[in-house]
Amino acid sequence: MGNRVAIVGIGQTYHKSNRKDVTQPEMVAEAVRAALTDAQMKPKDVEAVFTSNMETFEGMYLPDHMMVDEVGAFMKPGLKVNTGGTTGASVVEEGFHFVASGLFDTALVIGFEKQDCGDTTAAITAAVTPVWGKGVATGAIGEFAKQALTYMQKTGAKEEHAAMIRLKADKGACKNPYAHLKLGLKSIEEVLNSGYLVWPLRLLDFCPQSVGACALILASEHKAKKITKKPVWIADVVTVHQEPFRAGSFGDPTGTEEYSQDIAAERLYKRNGITNPTKDICMAEIYEPSNWEEMSHYEHYHFCEKNEGWKMVEKGITEMEGAFPVNPSGGVIATNPIGATPTIRVAEAALQVRGDAGEHQVTRDVHTAMATALGGPNWTVVTLLKRSL
Amino acid sequence: MTTEKKAEKKPEYIKVEIARPRAYKWSSGKYLGKLYKEALENRKLVTNRCPKCKQLLWPPAGVCGRCNVEAGEDWVVMSGEGTVLQYTYLVFPLWDPHYGDRLANPYPTATIKLDDGVFLVHFLEEKDPEKLKNVKRVQAVWKEEGRGRGLGDILYFRTIDE
Repeated sequence: MGNRVAIVGIGQTYHKSNRKDVTQPEMVAEAVRAALTDAQMKPKDVEAVFTSNMETFEGMYLPDHMMVDEVGAFMKPGLKVNTGGTTGASVVEEGFHFVASGLFDTALVIGFEKQDCGDTTAAITAAVTPVWGKGVATGAIGEFAKQALTYMQKTGAKEEHAAMIRLKADKGACKNPYAHLKLGLKSIEEVLNSGYLVWPLRLLDFCPQSVGACALILASEHKAKKITKKPVWIADVVTVHQEPFRAGSFGDPTGTEEYSQDIAAERLYKRNGITNPTKDICMAEIYEPSNWEEMSHYEHYHFCEKNEGWKMVEKGITEMEGAFPVNPSGGVIATNPIGATPTIRVAEAALQVRGDAGEHQVTRDVHTAMATALGGPNWTVVTLLKRSL
Repeated sequence: MTTEKKAEKKPEYIKVEIARPRAYKWSSGKYLGKLYKEALENRKLVTNRCPKCKQLLWPPAGVCGRCNVEAGEDWVVMSGEGTVLQYTYLVFPLWDPHYGDRLANPYPTATIKLDDGVFLVHFLEEKDPEKLKNVKRVQAVWKEEGRGRGLGDILYFRTIDE
């Protein structure tokens, strides 16, 4: 392992479906300013800037070049990263590697997406090879719909369980000042009464298209201790890439293929001496585009036994006050600015470790937290954060 | 961190509309080219086999990624019949982002395991949500017009009554 690296500054924008009041660089600047303010740093204190989004979602190639001034990157080193849905976590990993290597003492990492400028489903569908499979693809939602069906059939989970997850997410989102959808849902019936979009996914079963950005400032050990009293240490990051499943983009209806989530989690746990994930880790912020996906991820990240993700929901284990809270921020189903989404998972997990999450701070004391990213197809990035190393 | 501020006087914010059609010309290469040709001319689904592990590559390809060997020309004609593993249908219509067509509901799509062991995602002929629940065995129905699109030369998969 290289040098120790800590998160010393956290900033995000509020999230909406549409923002006509800012350009993409101006929006990103809001998150950067917030992170610098949080760290009490000036742009000149940042040595390198790393950016990430879903390139071409807004119809623009190299979107980072237009925001050099706004993010304080003028004449500084840096890179733009794009790994699909995981990109906002890959950029954290990139900054982590550079600071751990000793090349830089401070790095600014940014995830952003301004989906109101483009057509996300068109962009996702464009990930399908044009000479193969084009025309049948219906973006991400069709894939997750089929997976929801398989999850139901395989585990016996009911729509009520998915609705409980949606309620849990909304409860968190309503307490999170930066969340996008704050619906004030009162009962699972409200979720079950929302119309189907793509069967069997209902309107309330799927994430919105959000506009927003998230920025983190990373620092080496000696710098971090000067900058803040509450550094959040990046203990480890594991990335696992896999080709799409032979039978699907994000899920395997045949039950015969290996999931990158399982492999990433197993590698992370082994490298960090974690034998009982929900005991050794205090909470998780996971990338769940739909409530069905969240239950499936509980299993793939070994938070429970196979086919029992829905039981964790039934028992309330993953509620904000539960024994192993998951997505107290409201998660991706409430807020999904795609390129920023995995950065927000790390940011929210870090806020929980610092004890600075405010109204959505979980009951359990969080000394260790995990953030995950799902991307595509079938790529996983998991990040482990600690209060002390 | 930031919160939304309401401007005192409403400024003039403008959305700049950019409607920019894009044209691409993708190459099929030798292996996918064979699939396109057989579908177009003979209404047959073909793929090639790895010389080492003997598994069917799908889509047809120049290398077997599992064995890291060159795949070669061991071509197999597949049956065009298979089993539905997963399906979904649109309840709310979507737009086809590439061709601008309206994807009217129900637009049922399925993950199908062909009897030869490979998987594909394609349309189902059956459109009744209740009947879709029982669709298991299906067979490819080829298009009469608008051909030359590889797998797109298959119109949809029709239920086989057994």
